[in-house]
Amino acid sequence: MAQIIAYGIITGAFYGLAAIGLSLVFGVMRHLNIAHGSLLMVGGFTAYWAFNLLHLDPFLSIPLVMAILFLLGAALYKGLFSHLDKLPEGQKIDNSMLVGFGLIWIMDNLATMLWTSDVRAITPSYTGKVWHVFPGVRLPLVGLAIVALAVLVIFSLHFLLTRTYFGKAVRATAQDREAANLMGINVERTYLMFFALSAALAGIAGVVSAVNYSVYPTVGFEWLLKAIIVLVLAGVGRIGRVFGAGLLLGLAEGISVYFVGPAYREVVGLVMFILVLLRRST
Amino acid sequence: MEYGGKGFVVSGIVVAVLIVFPLTLGTEHTLNLFVMLFITIILAHGWNMLGGYGGQISLGNAAFFGVGLLSFHFLAWNAGLPVYIALPASGVSGVVLASFIGIPALRLKGIYFAIGTLALAEALRITYGNLFPATLYIPTVQITTYTLLSRYYMGLATAVFIQGAAYCIIKSKIGLAMKAIRDDDEAADTLGVNLFKYKFLALVFNSFCCGLAGGIYAYYQTSIYLTVPFSPQWTFEPLVAAAVGGAGTLLGPVIGSVFLIILTETFALYLGKGYLIIFGALFIFVVLFFPGGLVGTWPRVGMFLGFRRRATKD
Repeated sequence: MAQIIAYGIITGAFYGLAAIGLSLVFGVMRHLNIAHGSLLMVGGFTAYWAFNLLHLDPFLSIPLVMAILFLLGAALYKGLFSHLDKLPEGQKIDNSMLVGFGLIWIMDNLATMLWTSDVRAITPSYTGKVWHVFPGVRLPLVGLAIVALAVLVIFSLHFLLTRTYFGKAVRATAQDREAANLMGINVERTYLMFFALSAALAGIAGVVSAVNYSVYPTVGFEWLLKAIIVLVLAGVGRIGRVFGAGLLLGLAEGISVYFVGPAYREVVGLVMFILVLLRRST
Repeated sequence: MEYGGKGFVVSGIVVAVLIVFPLTLGTEHTLNLFVMLFITIILAHGWNMLGGYGGQISLGNAAFFGVGLLSFHFLAWNAGLPVYIALPASGVSGVVLASFIGIPALRLKGIYFAIGTLALAEALRITYGNLFPATLYIPTVQITTYTLLSRYYMGLATAVFIQGAAYCIIKSKIGLAMKAIRDDDEAADTLGVNLFKYKFLALVFNSFCCGLAGGIYAYYQTSIYLTVPFSPQWTFEPLVAAAVGGAGTLLGPVIGSVFLIILTETFALYLGKGYLIIFGALFIFVVLFFPGGLVGTWPRVGMFLGFRRRATKD
């Protein structure tokens, strides 16, 4: 049982990483960028090629992946999502989902054409090494690194949003776009940077996916499912709650796999999702 | 561009031509194309009723399509029910599945319905792949009596039926209420429109269409690979068809579907999967810059050129 919980925490940390960018952009900008998973996939492939061609350790390639995804995110925002900013909130969310859906279609199929639909994974020398904490509990080193990474991301984001001018601008814009604009905050630029930051966060999750799981063109769609469930479980806005919801989902899945079997793993998340809806709608 | 007296005459002529077509000019290749066209039209009409008129974005129509497909397969081929019972049953199975997500999600505002349907479709796709890792075949007895014509006429009849049903709904009070909710749900609520009821009705229409389309597909295909039933393609292509044709119009889904099938035929031959990328790009372009689609944009072009007096949008 302790083993299940340990794996649940590692999975949960990953779900938190996969969902955090999606959740932040939705909370602040009211864009539901469902192509977030596909950005994650691009991040995974970048790390894969960095490892195979440049022999760069996946965890060390994170800054490179983040930089590339940051630029990609900025380009996507500038080219597509910024056109929706003038719309009223409801339409903005709807249309950003539709644009995101189109983007998934483009990116996933483009990735299939470029890199074929083979399932790939990064296997550095320490893959499979475990740490026996006490008898019966084995902690994979990669898993520990993921949890550490998640903690690092939480604290950096917290620092960024509460202690810097950029964070202040983001929070002000999230509260009232017009007022922030009048106070001399460059809203457009803040949005651009923030969207790009969220893409970079998807890149981190992509690296983790490639190291701990695998990466293939449609992998983003599957991680998107987890990210969406985490988003709904967590509600909008708080970094800590996103990771908390990620852990909850990871643990619930781990326990269900133990009792029911791995075939129904996805159903767990779906049931949790519907339960949240039922609770909110009554 | 909308139905009037002239519209009925034109639709009648089109349907008459489509009835005679396979008996005279149709080759096997064109008939196959038309069956896929009918399936796309049915799916696009479903999405359009819910998204274009009802204002609720569904990103998981593949779930309803897949469950309709499987229902038809098991009812008609495994249990041996006649096709005219199995087909409506596959539509109903889509509605039943849609209720699970629709009843809680449609009571809430915002994104829950859209991402709920997306989660439903994706969870079903992965779970189905885990549980039934095999290709479905129709029984050999059926293969010996397989005719493409019966598939063609079934697709045509269902597509005409759905087009007619969509027309009746939109011209009735229900359609009016749905449009009112889409345009301003708070105002509609204040005027006594039951929001949940009409959103749910639109969802029933949509999921019934998806289930029917799944049933026709199961009837039409002799073998179904395991990734087919819940493939996101069944969500995406009708969405593109409805949006490109013109969401929130009665002709949009038809025009969009024809456009899409022609595009597929033109590009799939020498671009492989590349045509899907073109679809995606086209779709984003329409969503961002031409929300009216072809039906909505054409009168404006006409007006610009001085052909038409006034653009009307339903």
